[in-house]
Amino acid sequence: MLLQTLVTGLSIGGIYSLMAVGYSLIFSILSFSNFAHGAVIMLGAYMGMVLAAKAHLGLGLVVIGSVVGAGILSVCNERAAYAVLRRRRAPSLYLMISAMGCSMFLENMVYATIGARFYSFPEFFKRQVIQVGGSSLSLLDLFAFVISMGAIAALHIFITRTRTGISIRAGVNDMTMCSLMGVNTDRLISIVFFLAGAFAGVAGVFLGIKYLVYPTMGWVTNKAYIAAVIGGLGSLPGAMIGGIILGVLETLVSTYVSSIMRDVFSFTALVVLLICLPNGLLGTDTEEKV
Amino acid sequence: MSGYLDVSGLHVYYGGIHALHGIDISVNRGEIVSVVGVNGAGKSTLMWSIAGALPVARGSVTLDGVRLPPRPHEIVALGISLVPERRRLFTALSVEENLIMGAIRRSDKDMAERDRERCFTLYPVLKERLRQRAGTLSGGEQQMLAIARALMSRPSLLMLDEPSLGLAPIVTESLFDTICQIRDEGMTVLLVEQNAFQALEISDRGYVMQSGEIVASGTSRELLENRLIRKAYLGE
Repeated sequence: MLLQTLVTGLSIGGIYSLMAVGYSLIFSILSFSNFAHGAVIMLGAYMGMVLAAKAHLGLGLVVIGSVVGAGILSVCNERAAYAVLRRRRAPSLYLMISAMGCSMFLENMVYATIGARFYSFPEFFKRQVIQVGGSSLSLLDLFAFVISMGAIAALHIFITRTRTGISIRAGVNDMTMCSLMGVNTDRLISIVFFLAGAFAGVAGVFLGIKYLVYPTMGWVTNKAYIAAVIGGLGSLPGAMIGGIILGVLETLVSTYVSSIMRDVFSFTALVVLLICLPNGLLGTDTEEKV
Repeated sequence: MSGYLDVSGLHVYYGGIHALHGIDISVNRGEIVSVVGVNGAGKSTLMWSIAGALPVARGSVTLDGVRLPPRPHEIVALGISLVPERRRLFTALSVEENLIMGAIRRSDKDMAERDRERCFTLYPVLKERLRQRAGTLSGGEQQMLAIARALMSRPSLLMLDEPSLGLAPIVTESLFDTICQIRDEGMTVLLVEQNAFQALEISDRGYVMQSGEIVASGTSRELLENRLIRKAYLGE
């Protein structure tokens, strides 16, 4: 029972981590909370669902399709809604408000065109389980966790080893100097939004498979936001650790205490942690961002 | 007037203030030219505008007769590199990564590697600190890294904004030696300094700036020997 709960928690934690990484990437480069991130996750889930249900693709291709689709959507979102504000050096509060507007726009577009119906993914290996020491573990949960961690590890290698990755970290450190080194910062920001969108795509597909696909499913990013803050906003390892801690604790609470108490617990944990550690676990001022 | 770098009638607004009122300066190939003046005269604004980080309201900047493009990354590509005031290193990145950033536009790997070696010859201490975070270096080492980073883009014009700021006198002296050495290797240098006397001593020519205008110009010797200029602008 405990092992089963733990694996479920890790899989949810992995998905939270994916979402939190997207938040953190954008926060660290533009210093604003991108509240449209949830809408990108939601549309990523719809894209994945269409690919799975209508085109009958396998899980791998569904994830890839959703990654590319959500990535492009995220870049378009930046170009259309944030780029203008950015060039006029608007305060980050304006970007945040614009992001909220985008979120509402996208959600209501889905209501108006696709409708409020709940859709479910075709079964991949939802019911398949493996037996470990007397408890049955869901293959999907294990898969979700492994893919999430793999994606985050790949991102880590990308931002520490490649020239583009180093440019992103330099941009986080000092955007003006980054452009004075010869980096086209508009392009750099697009790359960051693509990465955040790609992670949203993976998260969207797994959320959709685990639960359902519907217009307001992106609201779960509240949790990812909490995870990012727990880990320290802007810190990549922080986002990952925050996501996993939150996922595991939540699942433990809903299994052993009450599922109604789950969200109460999450927000309480956030408030308590912020009182003790205002910068989150890894978000000290000297900590390298991203 | 047709130098290598030509700034003519440059007007720039910064933070709602009319910071530069029609600046005209010209730098010839292979020269060290200093812009001196008191704090707040607009020297840094001039450097940032040439580098493209501040928008030009009126006037023009040309390099080798070609008008500069509007965005910073396009200007770097033409061969202008700025070492800004207070260095502005990527403090969270390692020394090595800072040098990689300096050469980020280049595709000629072998040549970039050679330039890196040249930086290590100039500043051997950087080689020992490759994996260290730039923010943990001492002031003098940070200044070395800032110059090395700028050199990694293989500029034809190097702009230095207050490079001696916060350095010990002996470090400053070796800094000015390096600037001469860089010029001797064929680079053109535009130097902004509050430390006017030392800057003019290594320069070919100089401009004196005050309240966003050029108030005097000439060869360094003329400026240094003119008692009125020394009294009024160089803070003697």
